[in-house]
Order: sequence, then structure tokens, then C-alpha cells
Amino acid sequence: MRAVALLLGKDLRVLGRSSGLLAALVVYPLLVAVIVGLVVRYAGDRPKLALVDLDGLPNVITVGDAHFDVKRVFSRAAEDVDLVRLSESEANRELANGDVLGIVVIPSGFQQQVRGMINSPSIQLRTTQSALATRIVEKVQALVYAVNTELQQAYIKTNLKYVDLLLNGGHGSFLGNNFDVIGLGRAAQELDALSKSSDPAVAAKATQLANFVRQARLALANTGASLSATAHPIQLVRQKSGGRALLLSGQIQAYAIALTLGFVALLLSAAGIASERDENVIGRLARGLVGLTPLVGEKVAFTGVVAGGIGFLLGAVFGLVIEIGNVAGGEPWQRLPLVLFGAVLGAAAFGALGVLIGSLAREARAATLLAFLVAIPILLLGLVPSSVISAAGWVSAAFPFIHVARLLTAVLADTSFAGGFGREVGWLIGLGLVYAVLARLSVRRLLS
Amino acid sequence: MIGPNGAGKSTLVAILANALDPSEGHVETRKPPPRIGWVPQRPSHYGRLSPRENLELFARLEGLAAPEQAAERMLAFVDLPEGARASSVLSQGNKQRLSLAITLLAAPDVLLLDEPTAALDPTQRRRLWEIAMQTRDRGGAVVYVTQNLEELERFADRVVVLRDGELIFAGTHSEYSATPDAHVFA
Repeated sequence: MRAVALLLGKDLRVLGRSSGLLAALVVYPLLVAVIVGLVVRYAGDRPKLALVDLDGLPNVITVGDAHFDVKRVFSRAAEDVDLVRLSESEANRELANGDVLGIVVIPSGFQQQVRGMINSPSIQLRTTQSALATRIVEKVQALVYAVNTELQQAYIKTNLKYVDLLLNGGHGSFLGNNFDVIGLGRAAQELDALSKSSDPAVAAKATQLANFVRQARLALANTGASLSATAHPIQLVRQKSGGRALLLSGQIQAYAIALTLGFVALLLSAAGIASERDENVIGRLARGLVGLTPLVGEKVAFTGVVAGGIGFLLGAVFGLVIEIGNVAGGEPWQRLPLVLFGAVLGAAAFGALGVLIGSLAREARAATLLAFLVAIPILLLGLVPSSVISAAGWVSAAFPFIHVARLLTAVLADTSFAGGFGREVGWLIGLGLVYAVLARLSVRRLLS
Repeated sequence: MIGPNGAGKSTLVAILANALDPSEGHVETRKPPPRIGWVPQRPSHYGRLSPRENLELFARLEGLAAPEQAAERMLAFVDLPEGARASSVLSQGNKQRLSLAITLLAAPDVLLLDEPTAALDPTQRRRLWEIAMQTRDRGGAVVYVTQNLEELERFADRVVVLRDGELIFAGTHSEYSATPDAHVFA
């Protein structure tokens, strides 16, 4: 144990003299974390789609007496998708080339069906089998929803004019036919007059009809609200509140810390064990000064201390930014010791994997390169949602990254974190032990 | 111990030093086992630590009672420059002397030297042999690998010749001189 402590002190002293390397080890993965975060956040956020207008849509379509502003709807849709007007042949070519991710086709006869108010017009969407197809369908569905909302307003407005005609009478037209309507108001007046007829039968019938007309007027008076309720059974009302920005969310913090300490831990431990051979010291140590098992343990502990410390520091810096910025929700400071625990445990598990990599590579430069090559897929794989590609979930479960990220997410973001925290601690201890045993078996290679 | 390149001399010395496991056979050691010091062919110390820091670290790992004094003594003994310069910037000869000093910290009974004089100038070479002879004169033993037949003639009591991993001769220097088949450099 004393020998392990002495070597640990030596490694920390050597690392302290490599401040440039230490800074690069922290800054580089943080930069990667930010870039990955931005890619995850904005990739496919505004896909480019071709708009093929086979019907020659005008800027405004008149439905009854109401006007449907086509230009406004499409310009609003441009916030979500990059709509480019193309001919059908150009659009097909660009879809085949991958220059656009989908084609929205306005078929001929679209305006006529909109104005007719009898058949529902349709918009066609053509996509390829790309990974973003689902997202594009969602975007176009949102566009169609926006068009439908505009049309519903126009339809309701037009329908209410007919209702108003029924209530108050006047001149109207429908499908090209002109007509005059007496209206329920005047009909009621006429019936009231008839109900005073000297003929008791006529008076009774007129009274009966007058009652019906009054009920019908009352019912029709509520038509506007009823039509709106039918058109929008549920309305989504968005209320903006002062919550955390995406980059300061607990989950993003957790992933950024996990990504950073994953990089730092793998590179440090792989280079650390291989440099014992590069400096030709491992044989001297293995002769009895420090056994190979304590040596592996020392490198794992060294990685846990350094990378875990960096991870904890990042957590504290995130917390300070949140406090200084007075961000809603605040930082769960009382859980910070658990962040330290999670970061050290995660770094140690990564460290065991790094020692295995360093033992296999044998030379410090090769070990650093190999650790880097291994780190990229391990870390990126953990960012692929297992709900999208289940195999990615199985593979990433065999590496520490996803467990560190989940553990830190549980600590930083979950209201009730005990279950998730305990499970991930178990995973990290198990993985750390497996990698440490494999590292111990392979570290003999450094002696030859 | 002599032999052409690739004969297995360094491997055998590393096995004797208990730094490598033999693929076959075993090393017999008397009881109680002697303290063995090993100076590998390449310098063996931490490049980012100064010579003093290296010596203090290994003195502590050896469990010496006064590591600072032991380091001080060894720096003077092998005549290494003072200062906090990293060992990686030392000359090849000084690196080799630092390796020797680290090995001598534990006052070994058996000194295993793998081509120890290859990077040393004549003065340093003479100093190294003085140290080696002191170990022998104390009742210890020195096993050294060399390609220098003059050193063999001057210092060796017994000669071992290896070729392609096989022992082809073991005997006194006069027996070696009388065995032309053992002269692998002839």
C-alpha cells in the first residue's frame, strides 16, 4: 500500500509538471462535448425540403368570403424546414442526390378542393429511407397542422356567414347559386303575426312553429363556439417560463462531465501504464518493489483521483454558472459529494479499461493513439438512443460511459435518484473489476 | 557473459533479476536470498523527475530508513550533477550512472550489469569498474554482459558464452582462452 501511495505521488508530480497536457486533456473533451451537444440539438432541426407546386398556388386563396393566406403559412413553416420551390424533375433529382431530404407536392386541383369545402384536399410527401425520415414526417405534419388551422379558421368564418344568413336573412350564394333567405328573425316575426290568426288551427300551428324557430335561433347563436370546439377539441397553449437553458440542464451537465472524464481517464491510464515500460522502469518495479497487481491498482487509483477530480471540478463550475446566472431550479449543491463519488468511480472504471489498452499497446504513444481511437466510438455510441438502435444500447452497456452519464444524470437531474444511482454504481464496480482483471492479465506483456 | 546480438544475454540477465519469468527452467537461489541489483541495458528511471527525486523515490520504495541521505550519498558516489533538471535531459552516460545509482541504493550482494559501459566515457567506465569491484570485494558477485573483449579479459573471473539462446561455454577465463570453439566473435 505504501508503494502504491509512493507511485501515486510520483504520477501526480509528473502530471503537475505537464500542465499543457493537463489543460489539453480538459479543454479538448469539453470542446467535443459542446460540439456533440450542438450536433445532437440541431442536427436535422431545419431539414431542406423541396416544394413542388403543381397547382400554381396564389399568395391568398379565398374560401367563401374568408381569405386563406398561403404565403404566410409557408413562411411560418420556414422556421422549421428549409422549403425550396423546385420543379418536379429537379426535386426528384435532388432527392436522389440527397440535396433535399424530402419533397412536398401540392397536387393540381388543390385550390379547387379547398374552395369547394366538400372534399379534403391532400398534400403529398416523398422521402427516402434516410435516418431523418421520421423527423421530416414530423416536420411536414406540423406544416400540415398549421395549414389546417388556417383553413379551419377560414371555413368557420365562412360557415358562420351562412349561419348569420339563416339567423338574420339576406342575399347569399353557394356553389355558384344565388339565393335570398328570409332568416329566422323575420320568420319568427311572421309566425308571431300568424299566431294571432282568427283561425284557431292556423294560430296553433303558427305558435308551434314560432317556438321551434326561437329554439333554433338560440341553438344557432352558439354555432361559432361549437364549430371552434369541434375544429380544435384540444388546443396547445405554450407558456414560456424561465427554466434552464439546454446547455445548463442537468442531463447535459452529466453527459459533458462523463464525456470529459471518459477521455481524460482513458488517455491518462493507457499512457500512464505504457510509460512505465517506455521509461524501462517496470522491470525494476516488478522485481519486488511494486507487484503487477498493485501497479494496476495504482494506475486505476491515479486515474480515479485525476479524472474524477476534473469531473467534480466541472460539476462545481457548472453549479457556479447556474448560481451566478440565477438560473431557475438552481444547482443541487447538497448532492455535489455524490457527483464527486460518481466521477471518481466512473474515472476508475475507465482507468481499468485504459490500463488494459495501455498494456495491449505497450508503448506510450501507441497507447495514447489506441485509447483515443477506442474512446471516440465508446463515447459516441453512448449518445445513440437505445430506443433508436437497440444494439447500440447493448454494446454501450459494456463500457463505463453510459453508466457514468446515467449516474450523474440521476444525481443532477432526477427528483428521486436512489434507484438509478444504485444500479449504475453496481454497473461501474462490476465493469471496473472485469477490466481490472483483464488489465492485470495483460500487463505482463509490458515486461517482455 | 558474451555472445552475438540476439543471443539472449539481456533476457537471461532479466530472468536472473526476477524481472522476467523463464519460459522453461528455473533460477535457484540460496537461502537467505541475496539482494540483487540490476542495471538494464537502457537507462531505467523516470525522465520527468530529477536525479535526486528518482533516487529518493526508489530509496523509499526500497524501504530505506533515510531516503534523503541515501539519495545524497548516491549522487556523490556516482558523481551526478546536482540540480532540479529532469533526468530526461541528462547525457546518455549520466543517465546510465543514475540507473546504476538507483540499483546501488539497496547495497546489492549480486550486481547484474547489462552492457553497462556502452554509453560511458573512459573516466566514467573506470569509475563503474571500481564500483563493481567493490561489490566483488565485499563478497558479492557481479554478472556483466559485454561485447568488449578487453573488459572480459581484464575483469572476468568466469566467462559464459551464449549463442541463439543456447549456452555454448561456461568456465574460467583461462579455460575460455583455451577453447577456440567458444570464441564466437572470432
